[in-house]
Amino acid sequence: MMVLVLALTGGLYALANLGRVGALPANIVPFLVLVFALMLVAHVALRRLAPQADPVMLPLAALLNGVGYVFIARLDSQEASYQAIWTAVGIACFIGVLVAFPRAVNLERYRYLIALGGIILLVLPLAPHIGQDINGARLWVHLGPINFQPEEFAKIALAIFFASVLAERADLLATGTRRIGRWLVLEPRYLAPLVGAWGVCLLILLAENDIGSSFLFFTLLVGLLWVATGRWAYLALGAGMFLGAAVFALDVIHHAESRVQAWLHPWAHFATSGYQIIEGWFALAAGGMWGLGPGQGNPQIIPEASTDFIFASIGEELGLVGLTALLIAYLLIVGSGLRSAVRSQRSFSKLLATGLSLLMGVQVFVVAGGITRLIPLTGITLPFVSYGGSSLVSNYILLAILLRISDDNAREQALADAVVLEAGPDLYGPVAAASPTAVTQVVGP
Amino acid sequence: MNSMNRRVRLAGLATCLLLVAVFVQLNYLQIFRAGALDNNPLNTRNIVLKYEQPRGAIISADGVTLAQSVPSHDQYKYQRVYPEGALFGQITGYYSFIYGTDGLENEYDAVLSQANASVTFPTDLQEVKNFFTNQPAPDNLHITVLARLQRLAASELAGRAGAVVAVVPRTGAVLAMYSNPTYNPTALASHNQATEQKAWKKLTSGPSSPLVAAAYRQRFFPGSTFKVITSSAVYDHKPSLANKAIPVLTGLPLPDTANQVLHNFAGEACGGKLLELFTVSCDTGFGQLGLDLGGQNLYDEARAFGWDRPVPLDLPGVAESFFPQPSTFVRNGGALAKSAIGQESVQAVPLTLAMDAAAIADKGVIMTPHLLGRVTGSQGQTVTTYHPKQWLRATSAATAAEVTKLMLSVVNSPNGTGVAARIPGVQVAGKTGTAQTGGPNIETWFVAFAPVPNPQIAVAVLVENQPIGTEYQGGTIAAPIAKAIIQAYLQNGGKP
Repeated sequence: MMVLVLALTGGLYALANLGRVGALPANIVPFLVLVFALMLVAHVALRRLAPQADPVMLPLAALLNGVGYVFIARLDSQEASYQAIWTAVGIACFIGVLVAFPRAVNLERYRYLIALGGIILLVLPLAPHIGQDINGARLWVHLGPINFQPEEFAKIALAIFFASVLAERADLLATGTRRIGRWLVLEPRYLAPLVGAWGVCLLILLAENDIGSSFLFFTLLVGLLWVATGRWAYLALGAGMFLGAAVFALDVIHHAESRVQAWLHPWAHFATSGYQIIEGWFALAAGGMWGLGPGQGNPQIIPEASTDFIFASIGEELGLVGLTALLIAYLLIVGSGLRSAVRSQRSFSKLLATGLSLLMGVQVFVVAGGITRLIPLTGITLPFVSYGGSSLVSNYILLAILLRISDDNAREQALADAVVLEAGPDLYGPVAAASPTAVTQVVGP
Repeated sequence: MNSMNRRVRLAGLATCLLLVAVFVQLNYLQIFRAGALDNNPLNTRNIVLKYEQPRGAIISADGVTLAQSVPSHDQYKYQRVYPEGALFGQITGYYSFIYGTDGLENEYDAVLSQANASVTFPTDLQEVKNFFTNQPAPDNLHITVLARLQRLAASELAGRAGAVVAVVPRTGAVLAMYSNPTYNPTALASHNQATEQKAWKKLTSGPSSPLVAAAYRQRFFPGSTFKVITSSAVYDHKPSLANKAIPVLTGLPLPDTANQVLHNFAGEACGGKLLELFTVSCDTGFGQLGLDLGGQNLYDEARAFGWDRPVPLDLPGVAESFFPQPSTFVRNGGALAKSAIGQESVQAVPLTLAMDAAAIADKGVIMTPHLLGRVTGSQGQTVTTYHPKQWLRATSAATAAEVTKLMLSVVNSPNGTGVAARIPGVQVAGKTGTAQTGGPNIETWFVAFAPVPNPQIAVAVLVENQPIGTEYQGGTIAAPIAKAIIQAYLQNGGKP
C-alpha cells in the first residue's frame, strides 16, 4: 500500500512538472528518494513501535501529504522546500509520540498539564511581540525564525483533556442530581472543568478572531459530551450556545461579518470579500469532472491557493474525481479512527479516538464546505494537504495518537482472547495447546 | 459501553453525511454549474489559459516568419513576437491581452490557437511530451504575401503616407499590401500592461491612426483612376460613345449649376474619341461621357467592379469603396460629370482599385481577394489549402480587352500620362490618377497590370499629400513605384 502511495505521489509530481514547464523535474530522483526515505522511516517505526496498529491510516496520510506537496511545489517552490522540512519534522514528531507513549492511557496522566499547555498555546498569539495578525485573525506566533499557529496543537491538547475528564465523569454527567422546579439538572461542579476550559478557549478565540477554530472546538466538546453521556440535550444546548456566540460575534467582529456577507452574497462582493470564494469556484468549474491535469491549470489566481484554498487548486487540476478521492481518503482515516474508538475497551481511549477523528472530519468539512459555500468561509487548513508546518506536524501527532489507540486495542483484544483461552481450555479443546505461543507473540516485547 | 459505541457510530455517520454534502455541492459546482461559471464575464481563467498556450506562426509566401510564439518565462509562458515588426503590422495585426486581436491574429484565431491544432501521431520525444501534457503543437498559417515585395513597397514609399496593394489577377492572392503610417504590433502583445497601454495610447492619439490601414481600411478620392470604370461602362452600356468625337475643350460647363465649369488639369485643352481621352486623361471629355452615360449606368458599373459592397478579403474591418446612389444625380449633372472622373464624393479603398485593375486583367472577372495560402500542421504537413473563388464578374471579356487597349496606350503612347511605368520587354497597362482633396495637397495614384496579354500581377499605388505641380503626378510619383513592384515580381517569373 505504501508502495502504491509512493508511485502515485511520484507520478503526480512528474506529471505536474511536465504540464507546467514541459520537462521532467530536475530533482525527480532526489525527490522520490526523500519521499521514499521519509515514508519508509515512518512505516518501519510504526511497525516496530505499534505493530498491531491499523495498517491503512499512515499510507492514506502519506498520500494526502504527497498530493498536497505536489500542489504546493507546483504553486511555489520556496513553500515546497519548507513543506518538505515540515514533513520531516512531522514524521519525527509522529515517531516521538509513539516512543513517548507506549500506551494511550499514559496521556491521561498528564491531562491537567496538557490542558494548561493547550491554553497557553492558545494565549500565545495574543502576547505582545510574538503574536501576529495575518488576514484579520491573530493566530500566529513568532519565535525567532519559527512561525506557527498554536491552535493546531491546542486542539489535540483539548481533545485529550476533554476525553479524560469525560471518561471519568460520564456517568455523573449523564444524570441530573439537583432538582430545579420540574427539572433535574447537573451538579455544576462536575461540569466546571469542561465549561471552564471551553470558556477560556472560546474567549481567546474570539479575541483572536478565529471563527473556524472556535467552531472546531465547540464541535469537539459538544460531540464528546454527547458521545460520553448520550444526552441529546447537550447537542441542542451546544448548537444553541454556538448560534448565540455566532450572532454576538457578528456584531462585534468585523472580520466575521464580512465573511458572512461573502458567504451570503459572494457575487455582490466580488471585488472585495467575495473574490477568493468566486475565484475558488472558477477553479472548481474549470476542473470539471476530470480536471485540467496536473500543472495545466491556473490555481495561482486564487488567493491563498496553497493553504486555505488548496482544495480548490486540486479541484481545478484533478477535477471532481480527484477531490472525491481526497474526500474518500479522509473518510477512511476518520472511519479507521472511529473503528479504533468502537473497539477500545477504555472510555478514555474511546473518547479520545472519537474526538480526534471528529476533529479531522469536521475540519475537512469546515474547509471544503467553506470553499464550496455550504458554510461561511473560515481560514483553516486542510489536514495533511495544505501548506503549513503547524498543521502538518499537529496532524502527524494526531495520527500517531490514533494509531497508538488502535495498537492498544489489538493488544488488549489479544490479551482478552488469551485470558479466555487460558481460563477455559475445555471449551476449545485441542486449540488450547497453541495458546501459550499466541500469548507470548502478542504480549511479548 | 455499547451505547457509547452506538453513538460513536452515529458520529461517524454524521461526519460521513457532512462529507457527502460537500460531494454533492462539488457535483453542483464542477458539473452542473461549470459551464455558467466558465463563461462568467468575471472569469479571467479562459483568457489566461489562452495566453498560456503557444500559438501558430504566420509565415509569408517566401518563408519569412511574420509572427510566432516564443517561450517567455513569465506567468503566461509564451510571448507573441513579430520579427518583421511594422512591415507586416497591418496584416498580422496584434495579439494583445488588453486590446484583443486584430488582423490575421483576429481573422484566423481559430487556426492559430492550439485548441484547434491538428492531431498527429507522436513521433519524437517532444511530441510524446506534448501528447501527454495535452499540448498538440498549433498549426501554422502561410499567407500569399511575399515579404520581398512588401519590403520593396515600403522602401519605394520611403516614409511618405500612402499604400501599395498588389494581387494576382487569376487567383485574387494578395502579393503585397503595405501602407504608411504603419505600426509594430510587438508592444501591444507585451505582457506588461503599462507597455501595452502606452503603445495603444500612442497609436490611437494621432489624427490618423496606423491601426486604420490606408491600404484596406481608408477611402480616398480615386481621381482619374476611376476613368477605368467609366470607360468600361461606355463599352458595357453605350458602346457607341467609344467612337463619339468629344469636342476639344479647356473647360466643360456643368449642367444644373450656377455657371460652374469643369477645367482640365493645368488648363489644357483636350477632346476626341475615348482612346485619346483616356490616354491623356481628359477630364472635360470624361465629364461629358459621364453626362452621356447617366448616373444609373455609372452606378451599376461601379457596383459590378466591387464598389458599395463589402469586400470579402480575409481581414477584419475592410472598408467599402463608395460611389453615390443614382438618385443623387437627378437635376445634378455637375455631380455626375465630376463623379465620372472620380471626384465629388466618389471614394476608393486602395484594395478595391487593385481588384478593379485585376478585373480588367482577368477578362472581367474579380477573384475573391485573400491572404490565406495554406495551413500546415506541426510537422509541416498541409492541413488545408486555399482554393481561388470568383467574387464578381465586373464586365465582359470583350469590354476588358477594350479597356486593356486603353490602359496600354496610357503607358505606351508618347503622350500617355503613365510613360514612367514602361518596362523594357513587358507590356504594362495602367492608369494615372491625380485627385484633388479640397486642401492644398493632392493624392497621386497609379493602377496597373502586366504583362499583357497574360497578366500575372495587378497593382494599385497611392501616395498621399503631394504638393500640386504642373504635371500629372500620378504618372511621375505613383507610376514608378508600380513599375518597381511589377518588375520585381516578374523578374523571378512570379516565383518567391
